[in-house]
Amino acid sequence: MAGADLVKDLKREVGTSAVLVDPASLTVYARDASHQAYGRPLCVVLPETPEALRRVVAACARHRRPFVVRGGGTGLSGGALPADGAVVIATSRLQRLDPVDPDRRRVRVEPGVLNEAVSRHAASCGLYFAPDPSSQAAATIGGNVAENAGGPHCLKVGVTAQHVRRLEWIDPQGRLWSTGRGGALDRGIGLRGLLCGSEGTLGVVASAELDLLPLAEATVTLLAEFPRLSDATRAVVDLMTSGVLPEACEIVDRVMLEAVEAAFRFGFATDVDAVMICEVAGRAPAAAEDAARAERLLQAAGARRVRAARDADERARLWQCRKRAFGAVGRLAPAYVAIDVVVPLGELTGLVEDIAAIKAEHRVEIATVFHAGDGNLHPGVHYDDRDADLIARAQSAADAIVLGALARGGSCTGEHGVGLEKRHLVHRQLDRTSLRLMQGIKDLFDPDDLCNPGKALPRRELAAAAAITAQVPGEVSFRWDSLTVTAPARTPLAELQAEAATRGLWIPLGAASRSRAVGPGLGGALTVGDVIEAGTSGPSLLGHLWPADAVLELWAGTGDGEILRAGAPVLKNVAGYDLVRLIVGSGGILARPLAATLQLKPAPECVELWTWSDVPGAFTAEERRDFVRVLRSHPQPAVVVRERAASGPSLWVAAAGRDREWDLGRLGADLAAWSEDHGLAQPVAVRRTGAALASPALLADLPAWAVASADWTLLTPRDRQPDWPRPRRLIWQSRPVMLWTPEIVAEEPVGWFADGIFRDGRLQLPPQPAAGVPLPLLAGLKRLFDPQGRLPCPDWLKRHLEAAAA
Amino acid sequence: MTGPRDNVELDGLLRACVGCGLCLPHCATYLVTGNETLSPRGRLLLFGEVLHGRLPAAAPDVTRPFDLCLGCFACTAACPSGADAVLIRQLKDLGAATRARRCDPLALLDRGAALRALRRVGHVAASVLGQTLGMHWRRRLDGQPLVARVARLLGTVPAAPPTDRALERLIEQLIAKSGLPAASPLPAASGASARAGARVGWFRGCADAALLPSTAGRLRRLLVELGCEIVDPNGQDCCGAIATHAGRAGRVRSLRRRNLAAFAPELASCDHVVVAAAGCGLELRDYPAELSTRVVDAVVLLERLAPAGLGAVPLKVAVHDPCHARHGQGIVAEPRRLLGRIPGLQLVEPAEAEVCCGSAGVYGVRHAALSREIGLRKARVLVATGCDLVVTTNPGCLGQIADSLAIIAPTVPVLPLTDLLWYAWRTGSRAPRSRNTLTDT
Ligand SMILES: Cc1cc2nc3c(=O)[nH]c(=O)nc-3n(C[C@H](O)[C@H](O)[C@H](O)COP(=O)(O)OP(=O)(O)OC[C@H]3O[C@@H](n4cnc5c(N)ncnc54)[C@H](O)[C@@H]3O)c2cc1C
Ligand code: SF4
Ligand code: SF4
Repeated sequence: MAGADLVKDLKREVGTSAVLVDPASLTVYARDASHQAYGRPLCVVLPETPEALRRVVAACARHRRPFVVRGGGTGLSGGALPADGAVVIATSRLQRLDPVDPDRRRVRVEPGVLNEAVSRHAASCGLYFAPDPSSQAAATIGGNVAENAGGPHCLKVGVTAQHVRRLEWIDPQGRLWSTGRGGALDRGIGLRGLLCGSEGTLGVVASAELDLLPLAEATVTLLAEFPRLSDATRAVVDLMTSGVLPEACEIVDRVMLEAVEAAFRFGFATDVDAVMICEVAGRAPAAAEDAARAERLLQAAGARRVRAARDADERARLWQCRKRAFGAVGRLAPAYVAIDVVVPLGELTGLVEDIAAIKAEHRVEIATVFHAGDGNLHPGVHYDDRDADLIARAQSAADAIVLGALARGGSCTGEHGVGLEKRHLVHRQLDRTSLRLMQGIKDLFDPDDLCNPGKALPRRELAAAAAITAQVPGEVSFRWDSLTVTAPARTPLAELQAEAATRGLWIPLGAASRSRAVGPGLGGALTVGDVIEAGTSGPSLLGHLWPADAVLELWAGTGDGEILRAGAPVLKNVAGYDLVRLIVGSGGILARPLAATLQLKPAPECVELWTWSDVPGAFTAEERRDFVRVLRSHPQPAVVVRERAASGPSLWVAAAGRDREWDLGRLGADLAAWSEDHGLAQPVAVRRTGAALASPALLADLPAWAVASADWTLLTPRDRQPDWPRPRRLIWQSRPVMLWTPEIVAEEPVGWFADGIFRDGRLQLPPQPAAGVPLPLLAGLKRLFDPQGRLPCPDWLKRHLEAAAA
Repeated sequence: MTGPRDNVELDGLLRACVGCGLCLPHCATYLVTGNETLSPRGRLLLFGEVLHGRLPAAAPDVTRPFDLCLGCFACTAACPSGADAVLIRQLKDLGAATRARRCDPLALLDRGAALRALRRVGHVAASVLGQTLGMHWRRRLDGQPLVARVARLLGTVPAAPPTDRALERLIEQLIAKSGLPAASPLPAASGASARAGARVGWFRGCADAALLPSTAGRLRRLLVELGCEIVDPNGQDCCGAIATHAGRAGRVRSLRRRNLAAFAPELASCDHVVVAAAGCGLELRDYPAELSTRVVDAVVLLERLAPAGLGAVPLKVAVHDPCHARHGQGIVAEPRRLLGRIPGLQLVEPAEAEVCCGSAGVYGVRHAALSREIGLRKARVLVATGCDLVVTTNPGCLGQIADSLAIIAPTVPVLPLTDLLWYAWRTGSRAPRSRNTLTDT
């Protein structure tokens, strides 16, 4: 039998009982939660350790045998289905979780760990893992990373890629790599971002270091009944643009409601067209305030009734119902096509109208659940696999819905991935250059096409025939109803921030200020292009992490002068590889930013800055502990700056929040008490609200900043490299936890590769990327994007390219 | 396995499975093996393939997943799509049918005499082994395949303190060791007192009566003291659960007949028929309506009787719900509410509470290695709660969990829930004074 040698090898590597070859198992592993059919595997392997996982991949590579990794098999696009004769590598035995690091709010887990298990594991530290796909009880972290999964509660805090700090991964040749140091900002070529959402086609996740968030003090879940669906979708836009940023905002339409009600008897109204679930959370008064505001808004938008879940128990049941909605469809029809389109928020109502028309035209039944706040819809088109005519109608209705979403500037997939299912559609969304580069990336990482072949990208003929060419927008345009702004790269960021501020919004990108006092920082003169190229960030982000998260769509020019459009003007998108995260922050070595669509978010209501002038040189351990405890006990993200200066202020704390006694007021009081306890003078406090926030000098009193170490061990960086100078100034941020050593970039902010080092007042790049990052692949990416070497190239990369050429 | 007539209906049931995979993390055989062929979704899929003639029904790799199914119903409780409860029953029958084809001495375990003998041998052997090999004897025998099966059979025989005094001593020692603050008994007025007058038929159940006679005795006394009148008809036999599991339909029928005949004269005057073992309770629900509608689980009845004035038991207690109670009969809240009445007792919820412990009738012996893995996993999550004591309500689970805890955390005992309640009642303010001095029976 073909493959017998490999099976023998695999048994030797992982033991006989961990290799399944019986026909029953092969049948089972040929299927997943998608209703797709692909091939029959050669065998199924169940490795028990990451090292065994690596050896299995290496054995497949040796035998040139295709393989696919399978997590929970809950994927809805067929990602985990094996090609004919492929090896299925299941991660179900890779279930170890490291202890939670409560200080850095991180945990490292193996790829087979279930999503829900991470939050359960972290709960004792008051933390949780934010992405919560509805399948979270059965889906694995490896699968979440591979699909860049979202979930109802990703609305405010972002999808999986925004909560993964570092991956250890195995390339298709069976070599183990990492994505970097897991620093605060892994700048440089964005491998981490590229791997997230690559659908297991570029390599295998061996472990993931995840960011955890603190559990909210209070949560209010509103349930609003809308007699008309279009009122509900319009209400979403009203809500999202009102300044309340809910944790979750979901809609369930009438058909789905009936199924869910029949299955779980929650007590949903079934005589309305839509029910919206809207959740706000935070400090108790904040949640109450937001809930009251949301309630008024929803009522004004046409809700018949709005009520809050009575208690935690009812809330849990409510989410159970919502999350099991897909399963409940089994009661309506034997099968369904699960669609996963996303549109700009402003197009939501239009798309819903399109769907109604398509439903009538194709004579099919459609039940829809919406991650409404993200503009992400899951219409499920019902069919019965015994009815050929119905199958055909359902498929054409599904395609019509996707094309409708594309016509509205959307994406064919927001979280389920392309898989097998949407391979025939991607080329109608992505431009030729992007498609060519994506295929190039696949060929670079997996030259023998062994790693989950036939997924994620269109077939080569289709890609070659793709007709879309990227058109770079020439001027600034705000789309307030979609919470986006599109701008050419040359636009000063401060200009956009000022405009956004007129509506109480901002772009969660740092570097809004220029501090003259301390020298030129990453100041107000920065353009959109600068920020994207350098991936700059700074304390003014106040709780937002990667600059790439704010970049939804990016036009960029490669070294050979081609133009690509990465991403889409939508809040969630997993069509093809994530070129946005690959390019943002890469210092312009892969491509030069030309224009971008950025996300607008409700601006902080108020920012307060406390300054102390005579803080002694070093904190005692006790002082430090107390200080951190004060900051930790508040939900607002805070930024701390510490400077060993001869005179002038030597400690700053900045925090964003609400202009209320119970919010920033309480933090201020605690800081004052801390000062008193430790014999320090009271801080000077400056509070800014409203228009003052809009000024480019948002945090002008803070020293300018740049990014450095990932480690937050406050004021004493642990893994400082021996040749790094002792920093004069340190910045610590409480959410996400990170420490900055801002011995500042003097001129151009060309920070790249994760953690810069600082010498003579200048940010210097580390001699090369962190250990474990695959230099040959980085060099390959450089060659792919910039074959003639026209774009900037750091020394280490030059050396590597030369060595490779020689 | 099924006639062509049933196929259309079965096919319809199979289609209810949308393949979402949400049942996987609830299935014990999948959790410990990581093998999806041994998961509910895998089994349903295979079932469909067999039904459509795409896989041979008799091939060992096809029947094995069904044989290894615990019949625990955890999957049906988790499935959002519904309709598969019937299907899992079919799957179970399929497994049972496979088993029935073999001659199996274990099927004889449904005879009271055999069980009583097993208990004696088991307890004697356990104490001899304990004395010769030390308290970790189970762990030491573990690696030995030849003795493993026998060790398991002996190790998993359910046991409870044989005398009231022994039970008291055990609980008092636990309380002394546990750091929880002692709570004073709640004022008696805060709970309703026992309602007198319920006439309760007593279903002996061979497993309970034969294996845990002292626990059964305490429960009876407790019910009486709470005001119940107990009717214990002669001529009762095993409920038939073991025979069902072994696929012995003839024996099931004859046992049913015998039990119905025994209860027939009393049924009309009984408000309830109380069953101590969850496994029997579920089996009895398949009996004709005159019996099945009266069946009530002992914990449910006790909870309704709302015993008041219980004595304090300042312990951290984890409940293990038998699948036959939790998934089979939907009994989840009652044991917790009942324990909630005990002052000072702190309930802790283990992870994977809905997952089977791997006992499942004679499964533990038949599939010793897998059952053991499942049991150890269960013990680990129970111990992870930091509990002082585990309680459960089915003799099978009791034996299985005791066996697994003995390997992982020999200091954490497992008791029948009703024994713990009995203790709280006896040390409380409402127990009859005359007998409140605790006596050995
Ligand atoms: C009822 C239901 C609800 C759902 N709701 C959501 C939702 O709300 N949001 C959402 O985003 N998705 C949702 N999904 C889709 C699905 O659950 C997610 O895509 C999930 O992330 C898949 O995880 P998995 O472990 O099941 O992966 P699988 O289905 O096993 O695999 C998915 C892909 O990931 C790859 N993969 C798995 N492990 C690894 C690894 N270690 N390294 C590299 N690649 C790997 C596979 O090769 C495959 O391409 C839902 C699915 C169902 C059935
Ligand atoms: S009955 Fe229990 S063992 Fe059998 S498939 Fe369901 S969950 Fe698994
Ligand atoms: S939960 Fe139900 S519908 Fe989902 S895979 Fe399991 S049996 Fe099928």
